Amino acid sequence: MIDDPHQHVCDEYADNLAELALGILTGRERAATLAHVDACPRCAEELQQLARVSDAVVSIAPGVEPTVGFEVRLFSRMGLTETPPTPSIAPARRRATPLRWVAASPRWALAAAAVVVALVLGLSLGLSSGQRSEGGRHEVATATLTEKGRTVGRVSTYGGANPWMIVTLADSATDGRVTCEVVTANGVTHKVGSFSAKDGYGAWGAPLRVAPQAVRKAEVVSSNGTVIATASLS
Amino acid sequence: MIDSGSTDEALLASMALGDQAAAVVFVRRYQRRVFGLAYSMTNDASVSEEVAQEALIRVWRHAPVFDHRRGSVTSWVLTITRNLTIDALRMRRAVPTDPDDFAASAMMSLEHNPEDAILRGDVSDVVRSALSELPPEQRRAVVLAAVYGRTALEVSEEEGIPLGTAKTRIRTGLMRLRVAVAHVRETEDER
Repeated sequence: MIDDPHQHVCDEYADNLAELALGILTGRERAATLAHVDACPRCAEELQQLARVSDAVVSIAPGVEPTVGFEVRLFSRMGLTETPPTPSIAPARRRATPLRWVAASPRWALAAAAVVVALVLGLSLGLSSGQRSEGGRHEVATATLTEKGRTVGRVSTYGGANPWMIVTLADSATDGRVTCEVVTANGVTHKVGSFSAKDGYGAWGAPLRVAPQAVRKAEVVSSNGTVIATASLS
Repeated sequence: MIDSGSTDEALLASMALGDQAAAVVFVRRYQRRVFGLAYSMTNDASVSEEVAQEALIRVWRHAPVFDHRRGSVTSWVLTITRNLTIDALRMRRAVPTDPDDFAASAMMSLEHNPEDAILRGDVSDVVRSALSELPPEQRRAVVLAAVYGRTALEVSEEEGIPLGTAKTRIRTGLMRLRVAVAHVRETEDER
């Protein structure tokens, strides 16, 4: 095996190369390492690869839906004059009455739902069906809404001083006026509110008059009393 | 014609010409990533909004000078966001999220949003997986350096370890991630 004399020089810069790639090398060490990289194609290539890995570490942060109204404020600051319509939905905690139907199209229904859910869930992450989180000040529960065994949406309840409930529907058989009801642990059914769905899509939020912890089931009921979709929160 | 299917580079090129529609598409594509990175680093929605807005405004203003030969659009945008978040944390003297929490939220992320998958690409998935397999002390050192911009000296002080040990943890951790990424590339080349 032939000993590569350049390898010894490169080895001296190994630590610095990693730190340079991470953008944390400073002063003379940085200057000396850059000078070496400039003269060493092998280290230059290594630096490029390490920098890509460093970038990738930053990129693994999970996406989070921004706070409500983010786009409106941003587009205003950017001076965009021809911004597309944004779901006109006010912060849920400030509303005393149930939110009205907010979406005219499936896309906006989901977008609006995402905004509301992100707000109400306090940007909580990683909740899966049926889970309850007590990591923050308020308890949050979320569950899948099913229609004849098929997932058609999601129900989330939000605790705290002013409990709220969020329902989203996507590609369900729901159309027109529907009622959302919850069944508590003692078997009593409570009406949450009546809303409209369009072509199977919808999203709404409303104050919850019962303790979220007591809710065992949520139902979307048609105007003739038929239960269209259910979600188990037990 | 700019639409939601346009590439990042095409959007930036149009934004550089003042195309507002391109800016809207770009913002909608990246706002979750940008806000999510800031939120993962601060655990503060208010700071995250401030940082995310500033980052996207800078992208809009500096779109004409973006050079695709120096890296991907995603890296550029997230690096701007990361640096602004570090600045915001320093200015407010706020406590950043623990590197373990950052890594955990990234590794536990079970999102299957197609846009995110496209934006992240295979390398990020590999890095996420490789990061989870690093010894905890190396993982913390790499996250502290790569995400929070901590120098080796700062890592040694925060972790209560000698400078040499901090340097070794940073380098060894990053090299292991590098090997994992290289392995995937080789596998792809063989296909």
